[in-house]
Amino acid sequence: MAKLWAVIKREYIERVRTKWFIIVTLFGPVFFAVIMILPGYLSVKGMREARVTSLRIVDATGIGLGERVARRLAVPQLAAGGVPALAQVDTVDQSGVSVIEDALVAKIQAREENGVLILDSATVASGRARYLGRDAGSVGQVEALESATRFAVLAARAEAAGISAETAEGLAKLRVNISGEKVTDQGKGGDGLAGTIFGFGVAFLLYMSIILYGQNILRGVLEEKTTRVAEVVVSSVSPDILLAGKVIGVGAVGLTQMAVWVGSSVLFWEKRAQVFKAMGVNNMPQMTFPTIEPLVAVALVLFFILGYTFYASLFAAVGAMVSTQEEAQQASQPVLMMLVFSIIFVQPVMTNPTGQLALTMSYLPFSAPIIMPMRMTATPVPPMEIIGSLLGVALACVVAIWLSARIYRVGLLMYGKRPSMRELVRWIRQA
Amino acid sequence: MVDLALDIRDVSKRYAEHVAVRSLSLVVPRGTVYGLLGPNGAGKTTTIRMILNIIAPDTGTITVLGKSNRDPAILDRLGYLPEERGLYKKMSVRDVLRFLAELKGVGRKDADRRIDEWLERLTLKTAEKDWGKSKVDELSRGMQQKVQFIGTLLHDPELVILDEPFSGLDPINAQALKDTVVDLRRRGKTVIFSTHLMDNAERLCDAVCIIARGEKVLDGTMASVKAENAGRTVAVALEGGANTAVSAVFHDTALCERVDDNSTYFEVELASGATAQTLLQRLVAAGAVINRFEKVQPSLHQIFLQRVGATGIEEGMSGHG
Repeated sequence: MAKLWAVIKREYIERVRTKWFIIVTLFGPVFFAVIMILPGYLSVKGMREARVTSLRIVDATGIGLGERVARRLAVPQLAAGGVPALAQVDTVDQSGVSVIEDALVAKIQAREENGVLILDSATVASGRARYLGRDAGSVGQVEALESATRFAVLAARAEAAGISAETAEGLAKLRVNISGEKVTDQGKGGDGLAGTIFGFGVAFLLYMSIILYGQNILRGVLEEKTTRVAEVVVSSVSPDILLAGKVIGVGAVGLTQMAVWVGSSVLFWEKRAQVFKAMGVNNMPQMTFPTIEPLVAVALVLFFILGYTFYASLFAAVGAMVSTQEEAQQASQPVLMMLVFSIIFVQPVMTNPTGQLALTMSYLPFSAPIIMPMRMTATPVPPMEIIGSLLGVALACVVAIWLSARIYRVGLLMYGKRPSMRELVRWIRQA
Repeated sequence: MVDLALDIRDVSKRYAEHVAVRSLSLVVPRGTVYGLLGPNGAGKTTTIRMILNIIAPDTGTITVLGKSNRDPAILDRLGYLPEERGLYKKMSVRDVLRFLAELKGVGRKDADRRIDEWLERLTLKTAEKDWGKSKVDELSRGMQQKVQFIGTLLHDPELVILDEPFSGLDPINAQALKDTVVDLRRRGKTVIFSTHLMDNAERLCDAVCIIARGEKVLDGTMASVKAENAGRTVAVALEGGANTAVSAVFHDTALCERVDDNSTYFEVELASGATAQTLLQRLVAAGAVINRFEKVQPSLHQIFLQRVGATGIEEGMSGHG
């Protein structure tokens, strides 16, 4: 036991001391915070920036729809307290559209204009309009135009139906916002969307940590092999203890990092109002933190530990099989594939977290440590399912450790050619 | 019965393509310096790894310091220097040594004291510079070898096993190693080392075992090995070297089994049935001018060549450790 402890201690301390670890651990939360804040910050900020001035509107509707659209596009500017600069509107009749269109397209090509929105009778009748511009592929730009045009058409129609302009505007202004609220056995469990985002976060965090620390183990084993230190060590402790110490030591490093990350993320979440304010964003996106039941929290930690152990022992076996970094990359492909396979199915599972695919993926031992935690945080999962999945992963862990320990024992002192599948089977048998 | 440091009985190890060790038995009494000799690929490293329970033999038993080598506690009383040496490059020398000591069950305080002693003894810690604080990869190769050596001996093992300890050592470190081996023996420790350099073995060993192609060729104390192989070797020095007629005498296989030709100095191993007397007569008859003609005790080098033979070396060269 004392020797196992010595190995664990060395693996842990040597890694925690590295600059790489310190930087990633400290700046990881900053990175996450940026990911969390940036989209909100940019979208709010982006709305304030006037894009309308660089836009030309060709109005062939005959009912002044162009003016309405231009005014509507300027609303965010007004809201932000700026001086509204209206887009230039060219009012033409239907037959004049093609002439002015050609002229404006030439200007766009000469980079004198950004884009042109063409409104005609079809716009009033069926809501069809055209936008020509270099940024026609930009979803944001087109969406902004669509929304302004829809608003203008609605207002125009209302007016035609004899409703005053103000009333029409008021009518058209209505926005629907459905806030999904998750219902669990314990009651209402917070924001549905937040749960989904949190689920994704958990899945990616597990995926990242398993890949990072699994590869870390691989490198550690390979280093001991190439520096030949392995032989000195196994003359003092059994390879099994060395392997166990490695997996535990590196796992502890991972847990340390996660604890720091989770801790600072929670802290950030609680102080998010101040952070947003400091960045000059007042109306931050509304979200409530999903509540996590104690059973789920415990299961999350267990899934991380088991998932990590499963992959770590496989990575260790790969490290013991090869003699160079290049070989290691090749030989670790199958293990990486299992991880990538799991992460590919994150999206489909998320769209239907109770479907057949989700169910299957949360029982396959190699994908369960990523898929199940995500499902658990996104939707309520019956405890029996969680326990079943955990047992499956635990069983797979035992098999993986057993196989790896055998490959490790033989491979650690083998140099030169990478073993073929047949040789590998012989290693497992003879160890 | 003699107190044995090592007792190997009928041990075999077979790999997929070849037999590394074939029913090997040998004993090493406590307090001796024992040489495990053989060409490359003879099975020395495999034998050593089996002694240390790093690999398991297919058959046979190994008893170390009176206990089965499968007893994990026994490892704490052994010191091992592998042929391929290496340390954790990014760790400080002191941390590596502490770790190695901890693996052998030596406590931190005890380890620190011994590390200081050893660093000073091998001049890695002087008034100007303490290399113990440096990272391993900042050290020269020679210094790293010293550190590795300290790691082997830090826990004051009763049995020290050195695999090809002299390979890659500069003359100063080689001397330091020899001094240490002598010192260990004086303190009653047992040292087993493998080598294919016979000169070192001849000077240091109390007893030897020669193995080739996985099998024991001979073993025993240095004196008995020499005595058993004495009387068959004649040293001949000729004025002006060998003429054609003299060469013909040396090439007569009925008379000379093997001749080590050094131009004017020859070491002749007599063929069975031939006598030194006949050789002398034939040489004089061939017109050789003799400066020296002497029956000698063979060197370990000669015994090795004689018993292992050129074929054993060549075959061994292609083997695996």
